[in-house]
Amino acid sequence: MIVLPLGILWFGAVLLAILDGTRTKNALLAIGLLASALLATIWLGFDIVANGPRSMVIGGWEQGVGITLSVDTLGIIFATLSLTVLLAALVFETANRVRARVFPALVLFMGVGLTGLFFTGDVFNFYVFFEIAMISAYVLASYGETPRQFRAAFLFIVVNLLGSMLFLISIAAIYHITGRLDMAGIAAQIPLVAESPVLLIATLIFVAFSTKLGLFPFHFWLAPVYTGTRPSVAAILSGALANIGSYGLLRFGADLLPRELADGAPVLIVLGTVSIIYGAVQSVSRHSPSEVLAYSAIGQVGYIMIALAIGGEVGFFAVILYAVINGLNKGLLFLTVGLRGWLVGASFVVGAFSVAGVPPAAGFLGKISIFWAAIEDDAWSIVFLVFLGSALSFLYMFQLYQRRFWIAREDEVESSRLPQVIVTALAIGLLIVGLWPEPLLDITDHAVSGLLDSPAVGVSP
Amino acid sequence: MSDRTVTTTVLTQVAARILLIPIFVVAIGIMIKGYVDIGDGFSAGVIASLGVALQVMVFGPEELTRLPVIQRAPKGTFLGLLIALLTAFVPAVRGQPLMTHWPPAGEAAIHFGTVEFITAVAFDVGVFLVVFGFGVGVTATLARAQERKSSMAGLFSRPGDAGEAGERS
Repeated sequence: MIVLPLGILWFGAVLLAILDGTRTKNALLAIGLLASALLATIWLGFDIVANGPRSMVIGGWEQGVGITLSVDTLGIIFATLSLTVLLAALVFETANRVRARVFPALVLFMGVGLTGLFFTGDVFNFYVFFEIAMISAYVLASYGETPRQFRAAFLFIVVNLLGSMLFLISIAAIYHITGRLDMAGIAAQIPLVAESPVLLIATLIFVAFSTKLGLFPFHFWLAPVYTGTRPSVAAILSGALANIGSYGLLRFGADLLPRELADGAPVLIVLGTVSIIYGAVQSVSRHSPSEVLAYSAIGQVGYIMIALAIGGEVGFFAVILYAVINGLNKGLLFLTVGLRGWLVGASFVVGAFSVAGVPPAAGFLGKISIFWAAIEDDAWSIVFLVFLGSALSFLYMFQLYQRRFWIAREDEVESSRLPQVIVTALAIGLLIVGLWPEPLLDITDHAVSGLLDSPAVGVSP
Repeated sequence: MSDRTVTTTVLTQVAARILLIPIFVVAIGIMIKGYVDIGDGFSAGVIASLGVALQVMVFGPEELTRLPVIQRAPKGTFLGLLIALLTAFVPAVRGQPLMTHWPPAGEAAIHFGTVEFITAVAFDVGVFLVVFGFGVGVTATLARAQERKSSMAGLFSRPGDAGEAGERS
């Protein structure tokens, strides 16, 4: 059962790699496979919420010897989010006509990588799945195959290979210090080790994941890449792939290296603050929609960092909630780039409200959870910062709305109906989450208690 | 062959031809003995595709179309991936952990000479096909790019002419 989503995606990806993805029939097959993997993940999620985390040691080896696959609520949340965004992007691209034969297969391969790394209990295996997802992303970034896309892909590949390299080095260092690769074993060993070498490793891991997320000093690649790639790919990169960063920081920071995370909290707060202000100010000054969204993505990461630095029950709760809603927002907003029509305009407004944190859109929940975490922590400066960031995001999102959808231009042609409907469906989804948030809040709460109770996944047999 | 600069001598050509079969034999040997000695499907795939790369380097990219096995190797990547995935996921369907091999340790396996037939070998054959197919595919792509470059050398003489400026805009 735990391997069902992975199995569907993996066999599907190999099958589609042989088929011609530009044919609608094959793209529909890919959509069917991705949707069934998503359903299997949700089904697995119900089981895990009811019966606790599940794990399996590959090949029937002993715990600590073989590679562990283990799924807890946190992994399920991120897998569901990523597969949803991938599915939306794939449906969107199919409605627009797929231009490259490998596109559907690559989306499924990225699904394999993402699901695999959310479902693993072994740090090296995490790296392997991470690379599967990244390699698919490298090829996807060049999708469209004009010089503009190749430039974006080249930059993306160079920067992210550096990030992957740092991550691989830190895994080697963890193995050197603890002698373990399974997360449960590492979590048990780390407290026994002197703090200074672990702090160095934690810093490397933090840099690697922050590069994926595009946090302030590591953000330089993000805007050219998100503006250069096609809208569906930008949605995949920022709504699905960037989840590796937030999940990785939670798994490695909160779960494996909590002592180092607490030490680094002041740094996270400073970087998060700079990221929020920098992202917001840059967004206000930009005109092209994809640039505004790219800089807004840099700002949004700042909130996640601040919540991570506050830590504890409320902090991690805010991290998960914010990451989920931010992924959905970005998926929706990047897909609206390049579309025209009143449905798209309305969906954009929902996305904009969600980014700014205005109810009833779902973003309100994310913002309120960060407010709550900051108030619990008595950090009034953070409350003020979040308020300022939200006000600025309201400003830049509606500047964009005004320029794009309010002024009717002569040369405008309304986009075909199907892509518009897909974007609208995502927007309605955001509204539903905002109006009926209990399921999301409950499952986030469950994930947080799982994160704080057990030292690491895979401990339970 | 006429527009290519020929840098290989008869000696290299003969050596390349003579080495091809032994390279394949060594590759298969490494793949199979991986269960008692050092070796596995990955290194076997690398060795076999280096053998093909040697032929291409000496005789040119036409070599790739001469043997049907080599011609189809890139497609074999998918077959290999499928075999490897099947050995991983079939046990999961039977309710065992992923990659549980059959027959289990301690039980008798079917022998062919000294070769034991266990599902771990099937996995390595899959890995071999993936690596070999990838190696041959990369060699073919590079060889074709090289060929194109040398055949187009006369068409675009200097950098900075009209064709290049058009591409940049």
